[in-house]
Amino acid sequence: MGLLARDDERAECRDGGVDLAGFEAFFRDHYMVVVRLAQSVVCDSQGAQDVAQDVFLAAYRRFGGDYEQAAGWVRVAAVHTALNVVRGERRRDRRQVSVPAVGSLPSAEDTVLERETRAELRDLLRRLPRRSAAALVMRHGGMSYGEIADALGIKVGHVGTLLRRAESALRKEMDRETRS
Amino acid sequence: MRHVPDGVLRRLDDEPLAVPDRVSKHLVGCARCSARRVQIARDTERAARLFSRPQLVPDTDVAWARLRNELRGSPLDSADRHRRPVSGLWRRARFPRLSLRAGLVIGAVGVAVAGTAAAATLTTIFAPTRVAPVSLTRSDVRAISALVGLGDSHVLGGFPTSSGSRAVHFGTIKWSSSGSAHPVSSLAEATAQAGFPVSLPTRLPAGVGAGRQFLVQPRVHATVKFNSTAAALRGSAVTLGAGPAVVAEYPAVSGPHLPALVVATMRRPTALSSGASMGRIEAFLLGQPGIPPQLAEEIRLLGNLRTTLPVPVPAGASVRSVRVAGWPGILLADSSHAAAGVIWEDGRGMLHVVAGLLDSQDVLNVADQLG
Repeated sequence: MGLLARDDERAECRDGGVDLAGFEAFFRDHYMVVVRLAQSVVCDSQGAQDVAQDVFLAAYRRFGGDYEQAAGWVRVAAVHTALNVVRGERRRDRRQVSVPAVGSLPSAEDTVLERETRAELRDLLRRLPRRSAAALVMRHGGMSYGEIADALGIKVGHVGTLLRRAESALRKEMDRETRS
Repeated sequence: MRHVPDGVLRRLDDEPLAVPDRVSKHLVGCARCSARRVQIARDTERAARLFSRPQLVPDTDVAWARLRNELRGSPLDSADRHRRPVSGLWRRARFPRLSLRAGLVIGAVGVAVAGTAAAATLTTIFAPTRVAPVSLTRSDVRAISALVGLGDSHVLGGFPTSSGSRAVHFGTIKWSSSGSAHPVSSLAEATAQAGFPVSLPTRLPAGVGAGRQFLVQPRVHATVKFNSTAAALRGSAVTLGAGPAVVAEYPAVSGPHLPALVVATMRRPTALSSGASMGRIEAFLLGQPGIPPQLAEEIRLLGNLRTTLPVPVPAGASVRSVRVAGWPGILLADSSHAAAGVIWEDGRGMLHVVAGLLDSQDVLNVADQLG
């Protein structure tokens, strides 16, 4: 709601040197992507919005007005923060009690299937090596091989290998669960 | 050439231009690599299915307000962390003597505008978690229109233009939107423009035709800035955002050329105050000369307006509380029971209205399909 905030923000810019207006523009450009990346990991909308909140708070403190480099950073941070959430099982389990998962679900039957799928994905991501899980989330969240390479500090030629291994491991885990 | 590494085969489907031509040439003549490529593509597709799910449509305005609050060092309390700062007012679903189309389309979007009508809701900065009926007589409408300086029809239906401003005795009201309600050719286009998924019924009541039409109302913002007349609020501003909204109209199989069924979906309205508390603004607006005491009292009796979305109910209509797919809602029916409408908010922050020239049960049957 930028309209309302502008006067106050200009005052802050004058008084405290805080560039909230610039940060708001950055936030609005990238918020949707960050939430969706986080949602693909934590699998509930409120949890994803909480992750995004933490990520943008950190970005604000880290980049201090120069947001050119922050676009890639917030996406990577969203993935890692979300993975931290699903891997912190005790903390996560508590959150699940109080925060119901929501989504755009068309029917009761689909709701059941969707819940199962969410739980399955969350468990699988928890079991995969962290870097593999991160690469999977980034790729299926729309990041390019180059962006993933930058994010994970690997050569771009290795991204395909990492993804291949991750998806192969994912398939094996899913097959194993099906058999059991 | 040696066989193609798995990683390159994996990239071939995602970024083929980044893979040397010799790889594609090799695949033509190598059954082993081709077979591996197929397996890799299968695994990729399987993973993609796992990651694909209905996309969350976050409310960026609300998220920014929450973040801004934290950046300013005044974190919300824990109960409010998961609550969306929101407010607004659904306009009433009109009954046969009025235009269903105008009432729902403009009403859905005119929240912000005519929102001034139910004075107190203007100041709400929190999420409405329930809807509640407020009786509205013609004299109430006239009183409100006098207060906000708009004609009766605009109070009920929305702003007269897509953008503009108006001076009122307690300040100014400015509004803007990216356009007016307009027809679109398909549901896909409607959802693309609105930015959220829309559920529609698959089973229609008898007498309702399947040839639906879609309308999209872009988002509307309205800012009320208070002047010194409102001493306690001087300099404060309240900005309301409403919409976008998608309206699907279904024709009658026979009979008058009126929509027999209307299904409207919109993001719940939001309102943010620059400083004045909801309590102060409520007290000011409800205390204005000309506001009928009964209306003021009825609004006060709603309780916590920060979590309540008042739904104006025309005089003579019957009202009852219902549950739609588990969510609490309000069912309205006109005195002749020739028309009915139901409004509810789901757990995803979306407002829904189903109304038509139908009986109450038919309306509820349609609503339950939307969940």
